[in-house]
Amino acid sequence: MRPSDSPTSTSDAQAVTGGQQVTGGQAAAVSLDAVSVTYGGDRRLGGLLGRTDTVDALCEVGTDIPGGEFVTIVGPSGCGKSTLLRLVAGFVRPSRGEVRVAGEPVTGPGPDRGVVFQQPRLFPWLNVRRNVEFGLRMTGVPAADRRTRTAELLDLVGLSEAAARLPHELSGGMQQRAAIARALAPGPGILLMDEPFAALDALTRERLQEELRQIWRRTGTTVLFVTHSVDEAVLLGTRIIALSRRPGRVVLDETSTLPREESPHAHPGFLALREKLAATVRAAAA
Amino acid sequence: MLRAVALRAGGVLALLAIWWGVAATHLWSEVFVPSPGAVWHQLVQTSTTHGGQRGYGGHLLYEHLLASLRRILLGSLYGVVGGIVLGLVIGLVPTARALLGPLVTFVRTLPPLAYFSLLIIWFGIDESPKIVLLFVAALPPVAVATADAVRGVHVDYVFAARSLGAGRWQIPLRIVLPSILPEIITGVRVAVGVAYTTVVAAETVNGVPGIGGMIRDAQRYNQTDVVVLGLLTIGASGLLIDGLLQLAERRLVPWRGKS
Repeated sequence: MRPSDSPTSTSDAQAVTGGQQVTGGQAAAVSLDAVSVTYGGDRRLGGLLGRTDTVDALCEVGTDIPGGEFVTIVGPSGCGKSTLLRLVAGFVRPSRGEVRVAGEPVTGPGPDRGVVFQQPRLFPWLNVRRNVEFGLRMTGVPAADRRTRTAELLDLVGLSEAAARLPHELSGGMQQRAAIARALAPGPGILLMDEPFAALDALTRERLQEELRQIWRRTGTTVLFVTHSVDEAVLLGTRIIALSRRPGRVVLDETSTLPREESPHAHPGFLALREKLAATVRAAAA
Repeated sequence: MLRAVALRAGGVLALLAIWWGVAATHLWSEVFVPSPGAVWHQLVQTSTTHGGQRGYGGHLLYEHLLASLRRILLGSLYGVVGGIVLGLVIGLVPTARALLGPLVTFVRTLPPLAYFSLLIIWFGIDESPKIVLLFVAALPPVAVATADAVRGVHVDYVFAARSLGAGRWQIPLRIVLPSILPEIITGVRVAVGVAYTTVVAAETVNGVPGIGGMIRDAQRYNQTDVVVLGLLTIGASGLLIDGLLQLAERRLVPWRGKS
């Protein structure tokens, strides 16, 4: 656990998150208390759109995540790792147990938790700038502040040049960058990412992993990052949680001691941790 | 581009040539197959005042056309607006879907002429029943297209917006409506098409000025060349309007089929 040394004290962090970040204080940023999910999607919002998604089940998952951590959640497909993320996002209600964010029970989605999906899900009718600006408009940020914050965020993800373009005119990697900037706009204390790089080619994925690490260090946001890739989990996580096959249970919860300043690929601990995690996931999938 | 234009022009010319050829054989009398020349003559006659006679039935051709277009545009405008609102409600509220869905389907399957008589009893024989007829005919396809499109909006767009601070009541206008813009524009094209097919029927009762009224009168006097002229006029204007709508679609939803 590293509640005190969460990287939140740089001036960049203040500039980018507008000082609204949740740091690792008394209450854990995210806390799950024996959470189980055994039925279909969020009926309230699902009803609004006339559809109910079926969701993978989770079983008695409990964990506390202090602020500032980069938690990767890995497991075999269909193990409920996305469900775990959607619980925290407030898209899905637990059947049993409780999900709390900053000490408060989650009752629905909110701008304190940014979400990046596997597909970018940018609003196709808005250009990149307006997509990033969306959360600022919704949370009532004045126009002048919106402009400067949007410019900062576009700069952070390297999309200043593409601000006026529509999402369909961007490459997959650029779309996902824009989605990250959009999710960060309201200054969420927690960033929830659901296999955000799974649909990208290998080179773009590596570059975005590195950029995400930089963004995490600069903003101090708590990140929950779901992936099916063991490599990605070890590469990015300061803490790694592995889930078993459905119904998902926590089978491994390990704090990584790999250095975060540069790419940990070369570090001797990388292979060891990778092997351990791979064996766990293999066993869980069997 | 040039090739496409050439192909279209060629197609029209070929049809004209066939028409001219068939008419020239005189296998059928002019009452059945008027020659292109006769129709052209009628175009000139109906567009001018000649021998104290103004156009056809006291109105110039363009006045007939404008009267019909006005009905089409008003009817489909009301139909589109009503259809979008109804479709949003049906698509978003399950109770409304259960209540209104069958009603919309019921009205959609009725031939417009079947309820035109009822509209005449209710609204008389002036403009109102015609525009109401087009409205009732144009509304269901837009409502159905809109409702289906609403259900096709990926739920993650809604979740994304809610996670960015949008309230539940902002979702229909901020997310759902722009998401379904492509389908709405298709709905508009369908609605205008339905209004076109219905307007001539609507104008069979007290329809002068109006292309339908003109065709109806010409039919009574076996003026086949005027009937054909009316058909060509309404068809050509329909092509033009659909072209404009397609242009609007490319401008309004450049992301269609790409996201």
